[in-house]
Amino acid sequence: MKELSLHILDIVTNSIDAGANLIEIEVKADTKKNYLRINIKDNGKGMSKETVEKVTNPFFTSRKVRNVGLGLPFLKLAAEQCDGFLKIQSEENIGTEVTAEFKLNHIDRAPLGKIEESISTILNFHQNFDLIYIHDVNGKRFVFDTNEVKEILEDLSIRSPKVLMWIKDYIKENIDKI
Amino acid sequence: MNITNLIKELNLDVETQVNNDITFDNVYIGDLLSVVMSNAKENSIWITIQTHLNIVAVADLIDISAILVVENMDVDEDTVEKANELGIPILTTDKSAYEVACEICKLEN
Repeated sequence: MKELSLHILDIVTNSIDAGANLIEIEVKADTKKNYLRINIKDNGKGMSKETVEKVTNPFFTSRKVRNVGLGLPFLKLAAEQCDGFLKIQSEENIGTEVTAEFKLNHIDRAPLGKIEESISTILNFHQNFDLIYIHDVNGKRFVFDTNEVKEILEDLSIRSPKVLMWIKDYIKENIDKI
Repeated sequence: MNITNLIKELNLDVETQVNNDITFDNVYIGDLLSVVMSNAKENSIWITIQTHLNIVAVADLIDISAILVVENMDVDEDTVEKANELGIPILTTDKSAYEVACEICKLEN
């Protein structure tokens, strides 16, 4: 994928398909240790050990539908081609945690891209879950939590266009500030 | 054009079995798999430097005729194995994508 935010969109969609109602995404960049780490943790239905071993094989989920089932194989390849790795920890009925680490200054590492677009897309197309996004650059953090937004909104839906627009701008502004 | 013809004319190395009946009518060059997936057309020769098993999945999804790995890249063993199983030929060459594309272009005219 051209941007890491598109990989994130793909993996989070897996979480939602797995019935998660709480998803935590952390993007952490450390210039001293020279890594960029994406961590996506959900409380979905989880996977058996056997399934975890198979999900990075593109032929495990490959279907005749565009962009379906290749999320994890593509992310794994992208991370490994940047001297990084992909790790999946999962427990049935508990949830799944996907970690992708890239060498931060690797020339082939795609930029994070428009993470605010990925988040608003996820919020727009799915319901009944909370999402926490943590952006951390050298320990400077920005945390976005839909639960807090919903409290402020009261009866107004988080999926209404105006709210989504605000969320997009809010995330972008705060990331740019770091 | 016939794939056997292409192999002969461009003096390509063959990593898998090749069914002589396979033809192609288009060429696509790309290394970013997600972009290849959305833009390459069926019955194409796909020119790439990628060698991971994922290329076979992409080729299978969009019905690519054959994968042509350029720049002398070593193709992973499991990639060859799966390509054989699915009947997708993998060809290799030490030339660049530009060079082989030019040669294919000449052949077609």
